[in-house]
Amino acid sequence: MEQVLVFALGDELYGLEVKNIQEVVEAPVLHYIPRADEHFSGAINFHGSILPVLDLPAYLGFDSPARDPRIIVLVPELCSLALSATAIRRIRALDPEALLPSRGTSDTAYIRTVCNHDGEIINMLDTAPLLASLDETEKVTGGNDGA
Amino acid sequence: MRVEITYKFTMGFIIVVGSIVLFNLLVPHLGIPEAWQQLVTVSFALLVGLLLGWGFSKAFSSNIRFLNEAAERLSQGDLTRYVRPRSTAFPDETADLAASLNKVVDNLRELVGYIKASSDKVAASAQGLSTTSREMTTASHEVANTVEQISRGAETQAEMVEKSTRLIKEMAVSIDLIAASAKKLAASANDTAHTAQQGGDTARSTIKKMKQVLGEVEKNGEQIVSFGARVQKIGQIVEVITGIAQKTNLLALNATIEAARAGEYGRGFAVVAEEISKLAESTGHSAGEITRLVGTIREEGQEIQASMKDNIQEMDAGREAIDDTSRAFEEIIQTALNTQAKATSIAELSQKQTEGAKNMVAATDEISRVVTDNAAATQEVSAATQEQTASMEDMAHAAQGLSTLSEELLSIVRRFDLGVERGL
Repeated sequence: MEQVLVFALGDELYGLEVKNIQEVVEAPVLHYIPRADEHFSGAINFHGSILPVLDLPAYLGFDSPARDPRIIVLVPELCSLALSATAIRRIRALDPEALLPSRGTSDTAYIRTVCNHDGEIINMLDTAPLLASLDETEKVTGGNDGA
Repeated sequence: MRVEITYKFTMGFIIVVGSIVLFNLLVPHLGIPEAWQQLVTVSFALLVGLLLGWGFSKAFSSNIRFLNEAAERLSQGDLTRYVRPRSTAFPDETADLAASLNKVVDNLRELVGYIKASSDKVAASAQGLSTTSREMTTASHEVANTVEQISRGAETQAEMVEKSTRLIKEMAVSIDLIAASAKKLAASANDTAHTAQQGGDTARSTIKKMKQVLGEVEKNGEQIVSFGARVQKIGQIVEVITGIAQKTNLLALNATIEAARAGEYGRGFAVVAEEISKLAESTGHSAGEITRLVGTIREEGQEIQASMKDNIQEMDAGREAIDDTSRAFEEIIQTALNTQAKATSIAELSQKQTEGAKNMVAATDEISRVVTDNAAATQEVSAATQEQTASMEDMAHAAQGLSTLSEELLSIVRRFDLGVERGL
């Protein structure tokens, strides 16, 4: 059984393993980051450390203006980053047998696998290529706030 | 000195005898020869006798002839002259006869005069009678014509009277109908007045009820406003609850994350956190529903308030309308009462008219009877006139006959010529 936080990006449901999440914070004050990439909606003060907030729906190209006031903070071991989603649902325990095999094509680069849970299709977000692409973007833009 | 003819002849004889004697005495003294003396004496005596006889006979036959002529004249009807015998010293029986003839002439003259005069008068009278009877016949013809005209006029009059009787009867029927209609109208007006009275009462009670309803509606409006305020408060509370539920949910989320990080030890805690999350979620759902309900209630309350304002305005308008209606009912009552009065007076008037029409019918019946009597009377007059005309014609005939008779009489009498000296 895998504990997964389910959140919506646009009309699609995505899942992220709880082990990757440090905390979900309630509507923190968003600080403006000068000259930052447009995918970053700002920065938050998380227990004394400053974390950039990635606007995930905008970054992944979902056409949806709605944003959940809560922000998902990733574990520092993975990346010092917070994620903003369209809507944060809840934590679900997914049966590993419900996981469908990934098709492994380039257009599903950020989806590790797809899971059918009670009739809902949940795309399991693959953090590694996401963070890698972020690094590439930062390299291209020259920005680097350290990982 | 009257001498009868007998005596005259006797006297002549005596004279002849005397002259013979006288001549016998006288002749010897004349110187005549004795031989001639006897002859002369006889001759003288014969001469005297002849002369005397001739004279006598002459006078006598002349008288007789004269008388005969007179009688002849008389027989021819000539009454112009009297018989005038020559006046002699010794009138005789011929004078008596002449006198008698004259008396006859006188009597005839008188008679013929009378007859002439009378027949003239009769002729004149017959003429006059004839004229009069002609005039009277003409007059009675005219009378007959006139009476016929009158008779025809009476027939026309009778027809007209019959027609007018019929018309008046029809009029009486119409008037009866009018009277009945007017009575019905009066009854209807009475009903209308009653109904309008009831309508007015209803309108007044409606206004009273409407005022009560208005008051209640205003009270309801106030209650709805305070209800809205309370609902607002509920909404605020629900917001607080929603915030708490969200926070709880977040806490449960983070607790689950923490429990997962704790691995095997945190599993029980994760279950609790899961349950807490579910509770928070359902609390959030309920709070959301309450919020939606509150929103709906607030919207509905506002709608109710708006519709109440409209209602109040409409009710004000309705109150005015009912006031108008009430006034209209008053006017209807007034009009209906007026109508009732008028209809009643129409009914009374038409009642009187009915009576008048009945009187008129009676009068026309009387006129009809009189006209019938008149027609009968004119027929009688016509018959009488015809009889009179017949009598007049008879009379004219009689007058004609009388005239003819008098004419005949006159023509008979006209043979007698009375002359001019004693004409009548």
